[in-house]
Formats: sequence, structure tokens, C-alpha cells
Amino acid sequence: MSNRIRAKINKALNDDNLRGALGRFANDYLGSRAKAYKGRNFEDLRDIIAERKNCSAQKMEELAQQFKKNAEARGAKVFIAKTAEDAKKYILDVALANKVEMVVKSKSMASEEIHLNKLLQENGITAAETDLGEWIIQLAGQTPSHMVMPAIHMTRDEVADYFSKETNQNLSPDIPQLVQVARQELREKFLTAGMGISGANAAVAETGTLAIVTNEGNARLTTTLPPIHVALVGMEKLVEKFTDVGSVLECLPRSATGQQLTSYVTMITGANPTNLSDGTVGTKDMHIVLMDNGRTQMRDDEKFNQALQCIRCASCLNVCPIFALVGGHVYGDVYTGGIGTILTAFFNDFDDAGELQNLCIGCERCKEVCPGKIDIPGLILELRNRVTAKQGMPTSQKFLLNTVLPNRKLFHSMLKVGSKTQKPFVSDNKIRHLPLFLAGMTEGRSLPALAETPLRDQLYRLAKPKKSKAKIGFFGGCLVDFVYPELGKAANKVLKNMDMEMVYPLEQACCGVPAGHLGATDAHRKMAKQNIEAFEKANVDYVVTVCPTCTSSLKHEFVELLKDDPAWADRAEKFADNVFDFVEFVAKNTNDGKDLGLKSIKESVTYHDSCHLRRHLGVIEEPRNLIKEGGMELKELQWPDRCCGFGGSYSIRYPELSQPIMDAKLEDITNTGAETLSTACPGCMMQIGGGLDNKKSSINVKHVVELLADRLTD
Amino acid sequence: MADFDKLFEQFKTAAEAVSAQVYRVKDLNEAGSLLSTLVEEDGAKKLAAASSPMVDKCLNTANLNIEVKTDDLRKNAEDADFGLSELDMAVAEIGSLQQDCTDLNKRLVSMLPHTHVAIVRTDSLVANLLEAMAKIDEIKDNIPGYMAFITGPSRTADIERVLTIGVHGPVKLKVIFVDNPGGDSNE
Ligand code: SF4
Ligand code: SF4
Repeated sequence: MSNRIRAKINKALNDDNLRGALGRFANDYLGSRAKAYKGRNFEDLRDIIAERKNCSAQKMEELAQQFKKNAEARGAKVFIAKTAEDAKKYILDVALANKVEMVVKSKSMASEEIHLNKLLQENGITAAETDLGEWIIQLAGQTPSHMVMPAIHMTRDEVADYFSKETNQNLSPDIPQLVQVARQELREKFLTAGMGISGANAAVAETGTLAIVTNEGNARLTTTLPPIHVALVGMEKLVEKFTDVGSVLECLPRSATGQQLTSYVTMITGANPTNLSDGTVGTKDMHIVLMDNGRTQMRDDEKFNQALQCIRCASCLNVCPIFALVGGHVYGDVYTGGIGTILTAFFNDFDDAGELQNLCIGCERCKEVCPGKIDIPGLILELRNRVTAKQGMPTSQKFLLNTVLPNRKLFHSMLKVGSKTQKPFVSDNKIRHLPLFLAGMTEGRSLPALAETPLRDQLYRLAKPKKSKAKIGFFGGCLVDFVYPELGKAANKVLKNMDMEMVYPLEQACCGVPAGHLGATDAHRKMAKQNIEAFEKANVDYVVTVCPTCTSSLKHEFVELLKDDPAWADRAEKFADNVFDFVEFVAKNTNDGKDLGLKSIKESVTYHDSCHLRRHLGVIEEPRNLIKEGGMELKELQWPDRCCGFGGSYSIRYPELSQPIMDAKLEDITNTGAETLSTACPGCMMQIGGGLDNKKSSINVKHVVELLADRLTD
Repeated sequence: MADFDKLFEQFKTAAEAVSAQVYRVKDLNEAGSLLSTLVEEDGAKKLAAASSPMVDKCLNTANLNIEVKTDDLRKNAEDADFGLSELDMAVAEIGSLQQDCTDLNKRLVSMLPHTHVAIVRTDSLVANLLEAMAKIDEIKDNIPGYMAFITGPSRTADIERVLTIGVHGPVKLKVIFVDNPGGDSNE
């Protein structure tokens, strides 16, 4: 991670205005979004958008030609620009040929992408942004920090200062008054500008129509008042049919701002009547630039083409815990947030994006709300793989991933050596330092000590049921094996009560996720094979784990990694079919715990949804049902599904980001007044447990499997 | 036959939720007198109107003692307090209006003045946005050059996310539904 990005992160973290604004917004947004979608089935709507956009992207060039033909038949001139340079040259030529001195612009991300304002200014043309947010940042000499709310990072006082400077007045920070000042100032510009530049939210091939969505009305003025209109449109905006616009409109305002529809939706087909510069009414000089600039390349990329389904609603930013902390500027000056990282890689700079992908903690909240159904974290991971492939990996890391992680004995003895040398740092049974990839995780949180004896060495003590209905292979995973072996023992107790025998195949390796997350696909694949083989040999009916990250890897990623290997594809599928997360497995096989015969022991418990369990695996109600079945009082968190900030090695790489996310979680937990925080993920346990311990909190941290085991007899 | 009473009520609730004012009158005579009242209440001094069958009739029956302009609207709409235009469709669920505004005058009067008064037929109400889009889709081979959906007055939340009504477009939107526009070409 470069110092440049680190410095930007620190700056953002120290900006109280920014954090306050983003934090409040993150909370409010969810409510208004839910309200706007009330009575609608979001999953159905986004299925349609994803299908329509994907279908359009596949024939992007063909649709561009069709659009050109139809819009030109209606009097517009359409230019298909291969590159940013081509687009810039065309627009500049139009402006110069018509001796344009001032341009009014309504918001266009595509024009930000090619830095159009700079070019115009260099050629003596004033470009006035007319979207209020864009105008504010233009006056401040900044770049947008959010796709929908470009000036979300600024306060009313700052705005008043910039407006006062611009208008030579002394304005107070009164928002309605500031808006009025903008109205007056910009109205003048609208009336005198020689050219209007807009973007578009959709371009309909079958009719040659542009659709533009705004709230302020500036796009209507931009496209109506000046005698020339240039629309700069990224080719991913092309849709096949007019009705496709309806599908986009069903989601875009709801997801972007929680509105059922924006104040204005403008649909322009061809050249329309306008006031010419001599005051008479004539036909507008209408230009449409359809810009490729990396879009067809993205379309031809089998993994990344889904990013073209993006409708730029920015809801992925609004729910992203990292974005809420650092805002947009950390991500660069055009497209921000997770999706911004991906777009930047194709439209602007691959190397920049290569660095930025590190910011994603992989919580998957964005994926859940994306109207384009884009697997944003998946694409970010893929970007990481490609960066690693391009830049290679340091030898020490290669050794760790290829040699140490697959070999449990070696791994554990290295951990032991490491923890011994750090003995002085162990106090109250909590480690202050851990070696290898667990190192450095001690900022603001204590870590549990390494287990004296790993789970693998305690197996002989595990009790077995008298009569076994099924043989269950237990997958430990690093954290359970070496840090929380008691979770394995608890799982054994529960399974025994279900009359199932638990076995622990010793050849099992790490689930491979740490390797995968570092872009080491080969190491991940190697571990997939090793694990599948180990469990096949053990001849088990099912494979369970108490770590949802491991479950996802075993159940989904192994299949993906091995799907092109004929010798392994079927084996991976067969293996995956029988893999279950422990909590889901128990709920399913015991009628939500009712058949377990749990003793009812009072305990007030709150529950934290692990990102992987909730969003990767869709296990939401099961742990809650089990908790209630055990006679516990469940006190829900205000934001149960928000990330705890762990994200595997993320908390090592970005302690400064991980920490505030955890702090918010701890506050939420404390506010419930519960005695126990339960979760179903050892990673979350380590993060939250360490955080609570560091704050000397008396709240217990328990895995759901422990709550169950507490209520069973051996 | 659609239940226009129900659709109207739905529209009214939705449009008021986004800060529009909604009225319903029997015919264009009533629309004219309502317009006079609205102008008076506001203290408006100048009205710019985009000529159309309903707008013309409404102006004929209104009793306006202020400056009324229907031509040279680039100039006249800019300093008018009220803009008057006819809209083509109303979307009940979300309180939106739809307009073919290829006619430049319709755009100028609905954007530049402080208040936009929109006249629309009650029987143009449709249930939801997709229904409205489907209707336009039927005429896509001859799609109007400039169309708009208008939902409430113009708004922004760009400063500290505080909702502020009236940025570049009108600060007020008043919608008059006319049940029986009578005898005009739409009938
Ligand atoms: S997965 Fe989480 S951290 Fe990554 S971009 Fe999405 S919301 Fe942000
Ligand atoms: S990636 Fe999805 S959520 Fe993010 S802006 Fe695009 S459509 Fe919206």
C-alpha cells in the first residue's frame, strides 16, 4: 500500500465533518431506501435490469450503430468515440467551430472521466457546472467524492465561504439562502451560455432517445436553453428497448436517493426547437458522443463484463463500511467506492485500481443492494488476482502460502515457536502478538492466546454417540484448530446429542481463503484438492465447519477453482453438496433446535451476523431460532448485519479502518445491555472479543455452538 | 374503466408527499377561476403560458388582472411568477406528470418561472410508471422529440443532505386535474 493512499486515508479519518456526514448518511440511507422499495420485489426488479443491461452490453457496437441511425434520422449528429481523446477532440471542435465562450454542464460522470472541464478551460472556454453539488466542488477546486452527492463531504459553512468568494458577498451558512444564490448565479449562466453539455442515464437504440434523470432541473435547462447541446454518453448506457428505460427508472431513484422518482426525467430524441443566439426559434444543434474508452474491452472480459450492468446509483457506496469512513477522495478523482475501483481499472488506470482494491474488506453488503446484480467484491478479488499475476508475489509470502498453510503440523509448530518467543507479551491469557499472517492484529484489541494443544491433538478425548446416524467430518480451519479448539469440542457435543459421530481428518489443510485473498489462486487451488482428498478418504456423510469463511470456501470457491479441471470438477461438486455451516446444519436437522432437548438456561444474548454467514451463505434466521430455543432472551443489535471490521488479514493491513468499524460495533453491542454477544464466526469472535477485552467490558463472547453446548449434557 | 377517483386520491397523496399542491375541478371554467384564485393568493404579477387547447380555454375563463404572456417566452417566462402549461399524463402511484414538451414554450414556462401550474385531464391518470412507459412505447416509432416526467418542484439535497425545494426549476408545482375538459380535440 503506497504512502500516498495511506496519507489520504489518514486525512479522511481525521476529517470530522466528513465522517459525521457519511456516518449519518449511512444510517439514514437504509431507511429511505427500504421505504422507497416498499411493495416492490427488489430481487425481481434487479433480475430484469441485470438481464437487460447484460443483453445490451453483449451487442454494444451494434446498438451504437442503431442508436446513431435513429438519432440521426431525427436530426442529431452522433459520433462514436473510441477513446477519451477522440471524445475530447470532437467536443472541443464543436465548441471552437461555434465560437462558444461559455458552456453550462449538467452532471456527467463520463465528462469527469475524461477531465473535460480542464480541456475546455485550457482552450479559453468557461465550463460552469450547474448541478449544485458539482458547482460547489468546482468552486472549491475539488473533485466529486460520491457519484450521486458530489459534495457530501462539505459543510454549509464551507459552502457559504466559497459562495461568498464567488459572488463578493458575505453569505451566512443558511442552506435555503445558499441554494437561492446558486439559482440566481447559475440562471444567468444558463441564459447566456453558448453550449450545454450533459450526460445521460440511458440511450435507447431502437428510438435514438436519451434519458436523463435529475432533481434540480438543471439538465432540462442545460438541454433546452443554449442553442447547442452535446451529450457525452458512455456506451454502457445503451439499452436495446425503450421499455428498458422503465426498468432502470424503477430502481435508479429508489436506490440512489430513496425517491420513487426524481423530480425530472427528461427524454430527448433528436434535435428539438430551441432559441437561437439571435433570439429566433430554430432547431437545436444536437450532438451525441457515444464513448467507448475501455467499455468494449470490459465487455470482452468474461469476468468483468458484468460491471457494465452498473446504473451508477451509488448504493454500493452508501452501504460500504469503508466508504463511510474514508469517503470518496481516497479512491481517486472520478469513480469512487468498490465499483469505482473496478471502473477505474478499465476506464482510467489499472495500477491505481490495483492499489485501491486493497480497501475492500469483503463484507458483501454492496452486492446485496446492487440493482445491477454485480458481484463487486468478487470482481475486486479478481482485480487483486490480476495485480498479483502482473506484479508477482514476494518470496516469503509465497513460502508461507504454498508451503506453510497447507501443512498443518508445520503451521502449528511455527505458530508455537512464534508465540513462545513472544511469551513476554502474553498476559491474562491474551496474546499481544501473533506471528505470520496473524501478526500485527493487536491494535485496539487483545487476541486470545494460541491454544496450548490444537484441536487436532485433542481428538482422542472426543466422546462418541452410542449409535451413530451419520458420520460428520469436521473441518477446523486455522482459527478453530489453533486458537479456539473449544469450538470443535462444543460442536462434537452437539453432534453427539444428535446421534451423529464427528471425525476430524488429519490431512485437512487451511481453507485457502488467506491465499485467495492475496491473489494466490494456485495455492488456494492446491489446498482445495488437499481438503477434498482428505474428506473423501474419511468417507463421511457430511462436512461441517463453525467458520463461515471456511464454509464458503469449501462450498463455493473450491467448485469455482476446480471447474475447468476434468479430474476434479465433479469431485469438487460432490464434496460441496455435502458441506454445511454448522449452525445451518443443526437448525435443519433438529427442527430449529426443538429436537435437541436443550436445557433452558436464562441468558440475555445479542447476536452479530457474520458477513460471510449472512450474505455468502444466506444463514440469517437459523442462529436466532436456536438462541431462542435455548431459553435465551435475544436482544437484537441496531445494525446486526454490519461488518465487525475483521475481514481476515484486512485488520492487519488497515488497522486504522478496521478499528473505527469495530468501535461502532462495540457501541451497538454495549447499548443492547446483553450479557453475552454471540456470533457464528471465529473471526468475528476474535475481533469483537479482543475489542471488548481491550475496553475491559464484562460482556461474554460466545459462538452459537457454545451456547448450544452449554445447554446440553455430555 | 379505470377508477379515476381512486387514482386521483393516490396521485394527490403521492404528489403532496413530494411538495406539490393538487386540485381537482369539474371543467375548464372552474379551472379558470381556480387559476385566478391561485394567482391572487400568491400575489403574482406576471403569468407566462404555453398555448394549448386546455390552457387557452382556461385563460379565457380566468379573470386575471395581471400581465399574461403567450409569446416571446424565452424573455417572458424568465421574469414571470407563474408558468402555465398542459400536461399529457398523470401517474397515480408516484404523483408524476408526463408531458410531450417538444414545443419549446411548454419547456420554458414549466422551468423558468417560480411557480408552475400544470393542467391535466383526470382521465389521463394511469396507475404506475411502467404503465405510462408502456403507453409511450406504443408510439415509439413516432416518439416525441422532448418528453418529461415531472414529480414535484425542483429540489436538491446537495448541501449537507438537507432537502431544499426550488433550485433551477420551479419552487412550486400546482397541479389542476380537470374532469371534463369538454369539446376540445382530445375528446
Ligand atoms: S464488499 Fe464491503 S467493503 Fe467491499 S466494496 Fe462492498 S461494501 Fe465495501
Ligand atoms: S455497482 Fe451496483 S450499486 Fe454500485 S453504482 Fe453500480 S448499480 Fe449501483
